[in-house]
Amino acid sequence: MEKSTIKIRVKEKDGEIQLRALIKHPMETGLRKDEITGENIPAHYIDNVVVEANGVTVFSADWSGSVSKNPFLLIKFDGSEGDKVKLAWKDNVGNSDFIEKTVGKK
Amino acid sequence: MERRSFLRGCVVVGATGAACSTGLLASGAAIANGSDPFEATSLDAVLKALGADDAQTSNQIKITAPKVAENGASVPVAISSTIQGTTEIMTIVSTNPKPLAARNRFGKGAAPSVSSRLKMGKTTEVIAVVRAGDMHYTAKTEVKVTVGGCGG
Repeated sequence: MEKSTIKIRVKEKDGEIQLRALIKHPMETGLRKDEITGENIPAHYIDNVVVEANGVTVFSADWSGSVSKNPFLLIKFDGSEGDKVKLAWKDNVGNSDFIEKTVGKK
Repeated sequence: MERRSFLRGCVVVGATGAACSTGLLASGAAIANGSDPFEATSLDAVLKALGADDAQTSNQIKITAPKVAENGASVPVAISSTIQGTTEIMTIVSTNPKPLAARNRFGKGAAPSVSSRLKMGKTTEVIAVVRAGDMHYTAKTEVKVTVGGCGG
């Protein structure tokens, strides 16, 4: 199995789930130039992230190239241990990935 | 661009299903007036495209960011809102070529707070715009950048 681009930690404490995610992605703005060739490096960034808990969308975000390379995300939402959390991303050139994880206890 | 036309399609058709839930959570305001806030190149244009040019300054929005960032390529920024009914938090890096960095939408049960890392080309104001109901609120903080994050 190919290694996922997403690392995720989901822990519940007092009825609240904390989700921390790291996504491996170049997040090119399209405004940078290659230092050697001087050519524009085409834009390549994640433009949409969706988090679902037990199939219900709890968070979604549109991103631009201003989000750093290998983006980090921390959000919190109501839930309990054992909930199924899914994080999915899409980028501007049509790539995507997702990961699913069962919430653990903090 | 494909994503936005997809969202627009969702709003028009009003389709349900997991794939369209993003579109259903969207406010629709920016989509309705036709200009894409992510493509806007000035702070004023971003606010206008978001329909937030009348946003009120609020002390119920907390922005956590370093005063001085040594590496503009990755600046940790956390934004939270205690405004009742917060559904969206927009993050704007005012001096970046395309200032709107992120548009975060919170569903039911989600805490209106988000932490991530942003690029900052030079010293800038980080502006948060919060949407609650039909109202927009805003807060800002300054980050001094010693080494820019946009490379070449």
